[in-house]
Amino acid sequence: MFRTLSTIVFLATFLGIGICCVLFPCCKECRWRPLAILRRAIRIFTMLFLEQKLSLVGALRKLVYLLALLYFLVLAITSFYPVLVLKEPIHGYWLMLHATFAPVFAICLAVLAVMWAGNCRFNKSDWPWLTRILERVTLVKSSSEETVSEAPGLGQKITFWLIVVLALPLILSIILSMFSLFGTYWQELLLDIHRYTALAFAVVAIVHTYLVLRAKMKE
Amino acid sequence: MNKELIVTVILICQALAWPVVADTDEKLLGDESDGSRAVSIHLIPLYPENEDGEKGFKIAGDDEILLPFSTNWTCGACHSYATIKSGWHFNAVDANVAPGRPGQPWILVDASISTQIPLSYRPWPQTFKPEQVGLTPRQFTKLFGRHTPGGGAGELESQDPDEFMREFISGKLEINCLTCHNADPEQDQTEYAIQIARENFRWAAAASCEFADVSGSAIDMPDTYDPFMPMPLDDPKKTPPSITYRENTFDEDNWVFFDIVRKIPNERCYFCHSNLDIGDNNPERWAADEDVHLTAGLRCVDCHRNSVEHNIIRGYEAEEADSKNPLVAVSSCEGCHLGQKSSSNLLIKGRLGAPVPEHPGIPPVHFDKLSCTACHSGPWPGEKTILTKTSRAHSLGIAGINKSPEVLPHIITVVLAKQSNGKIAPHKMFWPAFWGALKDEKVTPINLEVVRKTVRRILAKQKLPRSGDWRTLTAENIIEGLNSLQKKTEGKAVYISGGKLYQIDNKGKLIAVEHDAAKPYLWPIAHDVRPAAQSLGVRRCEDCHATDAPFFFGAVAVDSPIAAERDLSKEMIEFQDINRFYTWAFAFSFVFRPWLKVVALGCCGIIGGVILLYALRALACVVKLLTGRS
Repeated sequence: MFRTLSTIVFLATFLGIGICCVLFPCCKECRWRPLAILRRAIRIFTMLFLEQKLSLVGALRKLVYLLALLYFLVLAITSFYPVLVLKEPIHGYWLMLHATFAPVFAICLAVLAVMWAGNCRFNKSDWPWLTRILERVTLVKSSSEETVSEAPGLGQKITFWLIVVLALPLILSIILSMFSLFGTYWQELLLDIHRYTALAFAVVAIVHTYLVLRAKMKE
Repeated sequence: MNKELIVTVILICQALAWPVVADTDEKLLGDESDGSRAVSIHLIPLYPENEDGEKGFKIAGDDEILLPFSTNWTCGACHSYATIKSGWHFNAVDANVAPGRPGQPWILVDASISTQIPLSYRPWPQTFKPEQVGLTPRQFTKLFGRHTPGGGAGELESQDPDEFMREFISGKLEINCLTCHNADPEQDQTEYAIQIARENFRWAAAASCEFADVSGSAIDMPDTYDPFMPMPLDDPKKTPPSITYRENTFDEDNWVFFDIVRKIPNERCYFCHSNLDIGDNNPERWAADEDVHLTAGLRCVDCHRNSVEHNIIRGYEAEEADSKNPLVAVSSCEGCHLGQKSSSNLLIKGRLGAPVPEHPGIPPVHFDKLSCTACHSGPWPGEKTILTKTSRAHSLGIAGINKSPEVLPHIITVVLAKQSNGKIAPHKMFWPAFWGALKDEKVTPINLEVVRKTVRRILAKQKLPRSGDWRTLTAENIIEGLNSLQKKTEGKAVYISGGKLYQIDNKGKLIAVEHDAAKPYLWPIAHDVRPAAQSLGVRRCEDCHATDAPFFFGAVAVDSPIAAERDLSKEMIEFQDINRFYTWAFAFSFVFRPWLKVVALGCCGIIGGVILLYALRALACVVKLLTGRS
């Protein structure tokens, strides 16, 4: 069941991203020539480097993000590869790698939550339609809030908060199962929560990464 | 015309066959319960077996020649003997019976020729058929019948002409119903064992009961002796087997009372199913606790049940594949404690008051990789395995046995090994040691009589300890033994011991190689079950997941008479078919497990704090808006 669902969800996600790339290209003069694709790949790669203009906190923020991205990749591979490709539950060295990288990833998530939350909070410009409705209902004219030029788009914000919110059940479900608190029924339930939350988390993280890359490409 | 003839012949044949079929299917008085839960009083007449193997005349206390009662004809008058015979305790010799999970074999021990070899009539891997070592069913019965309830090999017709007369004198070892079902405290299995040693097979069941005494020995009788028409013997020192029934045994109708019970007392089972662990940490029986189920008030037969077919439940997982007992699925550990679908498709759990286990903190993967017994049964695994004794291997319960801790066979426990179903379970184990012939890469044991005649003399140079332990062998002893056996062996003479196959190479030197035939014989154990509070993992994960945990890294002793191999050992993990480095690394990772928990919970705290903070800020915005403030 989980294997089938994961396969469908991942396929749908990548298909959706693919369609989005084709229908809404991030640059107008997008070309599908090999040279253009190579150039774009190099550009994406250079995004991994720390820019000179970044402050210490900015550099730290980017480093943590890159580290989280790397660890996410490792965790996603070690958890979904055995299930989807080898068709067996995660065990052996896969499990050890997974458990080794997981705590560092949790730290990265906590740091990112602290560092990115301010930037990713929603403001009026994210929901103009909601603002208009509220103004009509309450008859209060909202003050114009200054918008941060570097603030991420709505999609990024939503996916960021989804990541943060999903991280809680994702981590807690597996950590709580390590305490002598829950019996077999709850252990199985916690494992299921971990599995399905991980699937949702992975999809959201992929979409978030895509949106970040897309925004950077636009810049 | 021809067709009519054929049909007529078939009809006649069917008509003739009908009484036979009807007889087979006929249920006797005691085969079917009338529903009463009261104890059935067994006040019954006794019948012997006559010289033709048929039902004899009813035994009366004042008979001139007293014969022992036959269980076949006495008990069999109301209970189908043939049906009972198909039960697990008696059907080992039936090649059509599914062997089921390997169990404890009969271990033939002869310290004088440094031999301990697993025998079984069941086709369990790594056991040998008794005939492979030259044992006839009669000899097998004489050796091992002491710890059986009779039947099985004891009732097989001998194929050896030399044994025909002996068989007539001693009779067959019938199923001794009293072994299990006699609740009288005077039921004496030691006496039963003594009678078997004297070849008094026919008298053994009667001798074991409370109202008969048997004297004399069939073993002393000449081949011409007729137990049905006994004549005085020339040698006054030799006493023919005879029986006397105690006073007041028979009532005025010459009927006899048996204290027969359906629910067999545990002590009856214990005669054949006791064990004694040897070692400083293993107290004597009085100081040790019983199985938790028995302490809770259950009896062995509450779980190990059977119908009149005596297809007793052995109680292992997935036994339903081997047994037709309808209760088999609901009588295993899982069956009672977790619940299993019964034959009527009802989920039955908590049978006999079995608590449903919670297993807090135990990841479910453990239940796929371990049997219940791995954590709950047998002795707690130690740094090194210990020796143990069992009733059947060491004749426990019989007067005059060697009580030395080192007495052979050397059975080792507890070995946590992988079973054929892929789950790790606690096992007892022993290392076979025997003289064999290697042919086409297969090793077969050499007839014991041949070995005794050839090798015993050679090994006698080494002292045989009084403790019953191995005599210490050197390479020279084995070379000499193999050379002497080579002349009498088809194939190459080899000696198996301590997990190795010893043979002489072209230069005349002794070489040891690994061979399947030398692998230890293991059988899973289920008792004694410890209370949940004493199960593995109850303290912490490190009970098993530590780099020095006996569960994976305990030392399993290698047992051998060869001096150079006495102190060798193997690691438990070698019997578990798992990667050693991975297991070690995984166990090592548990050092960091507390840190992992702290880090992860700390991260959750921070993330939760951020969510809460911004959620409150969002709430503040909503409140502001709803109160009409910008």
